[in-house]
Amino acid sequence: MPQNPYLNVLLTALLTVVFILVSSILLASLAWLLARLFRQTAREQQNAFAGYLFAAPWITGFLIFVLVPLGFSLYWSFTDYRVTASAPPQWVGLENYRQLLLADDGFRASLLNTLYLTVLGLPLQMVVALLLAVLLNQKMRGERVFRMAFYLPVILGFNTAVLLIWRLMLNTGTGIINQLWRAAYQIPGVSELLRGIIYVQEVSAAFFLGLNNRSFNLMYKVIEAGFPEVNRVPLWVQSPLWSKMSVILLMVWGCGAMMLIFIAGLNNIPKELHEAAEVDGASPAQRFWKITLPLLTPYIFYNLVVGMISTLQIFEPIFVLYRDNQPLLSSAISMVYYLWQKSFSHFEIGYGAAISWVILVIILSVTLVQFALQNRWVHYDIY
Amino acid sequence: MRVKHLLHILQRVTLYLLLTAATVAMSFPLFWMISSSFKTIQETNSPGIVWIPRQPTLDAYISIFQNVNFLRAYFNSVFVVTLAMAGTLISIAAVAYAFSRLNWPGRNLVFFLMLSTMMIPPQALIVPQYVFFNRLGWVGTFNPIVIPGYFAGGAAMIFLLRQAMAQIPKELDEAAFIDGANHIQIWWEVILPLSKAPLATIATFLFVGQWNNLLTPLMYLQTVDLYTLPIFTATLYNINQTVQPWPTIMTAAVLTTVPLIVLFFFAQRYILDSVVISGLKG
Repeated sequence: MPQNPYLNVLLTALLTVVFILVSSILLASLAWLLARLFRQTAREQQNAFAGYLFAAPWITGFLIFVLVPLGFSLYWSFTDYRVTASAPPQWVGLENYRQLLLADDGFRASLLNTLYLTVLGLPLQMVVALLLAVLLNQKMRGERVFRMAFYLPVILGFNTAVLLIWRLMLNTGTGIINQLWRAAYQIPGVSELLRGIIYVQEVSAAFFLGLNNRSFNLMYKVIEAGFPEVNRVPLWVQSPLWSKMSVILLMVWGCGAMMLIFIAGLNNIPKELHEAAEVDGASPAQRFWKITLPLLTPYIFYNLVVGMISTLQIFEPIFVLYRDNQPLLSSAISMVYYLWQKSFSHFEIGYGAAISWVILVIILSVTLVQFALQNRWVHYDIY
Repeated sequence: MRVKHLLHILQRVTLYLLLTAATVAMSFPLFWMISSSFKTIQETNSPGIVWIPRQPTLDAYISIFQNVNFLRAYFNSVFVVTLAMAGTLISIAAVAYAFSRLNWPGRNLVFFLMLSTMMIPPQALIVPQYVFFNRLGWVGTFNPIVIPGYFAGGAAMIFLLRQAMAQIPKELDEAAFIDGANHIQIWWEVILPLSKAPLATIATFLFVGQWNNLLTPLMYLQTVDLYTLPIFTATLYNINQTVQPWPTIMTAAVLTTVPLIVLFFFAQRYILDSVVISGLKG
């Protein structure tokens, strides 16, 4: 292989294409041979050949990059295996899992933090997405422009550069968000609201951190300090009480993908239903709760499932905002961040494999539970 | 009647006000990024609000264009994303063709397998993949970022394209088949030209995914000369510095987001429609 990294990857890509072509033809020939052995018609033999020829890239990729790695990682999760040491994996049975689930405070913290984002951030994200979708569904001029503006954050996504913009805006002293927050104190009546928000958020975050540390001293302290004074500002990326809230803010900003799904759902609601209800004298609020929301449940379900899977896998915002920030990291670290830390900073492959299996099982079971519960609240019957 | 009309106008005005407020809030980070990139360090750290810099300075732009590491990272990103997209797009198009236009034994089983891989978080695979690529001697090369896509990486993308291809009338392939075309010709000359809109959508998503990708490059590209943009930008912000070079960071952010915004501007009508239509109707 050439030393030049660009030539190297070009050559490898070329070899990969050759490899895929050869393996596709081999797989397709095998399928054709089997179809022949089972005495199928010439047309069916041809179909088997063509089908496997075109599907082969995915099938070989699945074997190489999904199935085999999953098998290996399952095996390694029962071993002590470090990539730096040249020693082969040592079988330790369930030791990794025991350590991880019962004795690892770091993992506990990451699990609880991720749950916090899922329980608090995801509903907030969905409510904002639904609100925007309902506003956009009023059929007016310029809808497309608004839609674009709301979807753009999804495209920018969790790009490091975009996350750093947020880091700048969230600066405690000089960040624009807190500057506006301070300015808002001048408006009469808003002061109580802002202080109330700070109070509620700090007490609940302290409670959550208490769960994590198994001691609620911090929460008592926050409650003892009493209602925040005027001019207090959120300590976004400075205090453990606020570190997760900053991530939630980012999640809400990126709600455009969910909004698009909700718009699709709103478009599918038959107009006649609303018109009939209006004739019968139903108020807009009644129509929303009795018609729109029940008919939207399949879409809410979809967003909930997809949103939960992606929230449980959150990594980039926490990495960019809190990497190297030792005092804050433990209050914000997510499961995937912890996995990354163990595997690639500490090179504990066996332990990392165990973490990834725990994450996998958590995601699968949460998804299955949601599918099991959907009959209770999702209405498909109207379609 | 008059009152009702007035009420209607009032409703519209409120609606537009709300939407405009939401738009301002959602696009504010972009405005702030652009504005900050023209500020001095003193202005970005000043205790007062500087909406628009009084004397816009191009210093940050000049210094970042003289930064060899930034230019190399930019080139690396463009190079890696282009190479990865080319292979991924073609292989996805081939696999989607197999799932939508061809009838072969085992198709439903393979399709079901493919859909179920969507539930596996990619992070569950990164550890064994790392060991595998390490054995191949691929750590410290672009290969682990580019090559996996060539095997039709991305079940969601295959699904999206399959849904679109399934809607093309069957008679087209049959007519071509009778005229003596083979499957490769039908795929390339009949089906792909008819799937331009979903292909554009997928290309956009693939571009965005690769351009924003941080985790894999972080694992495999361990030296400065291989850094892609996201890693390079992440190194600009360093918690150990007392004063962050915000104008420089924001300039890097502007240059990173410009391709995304331009691409979105051109592809938005495909994306906004095809996500809405094929995103759900299975």
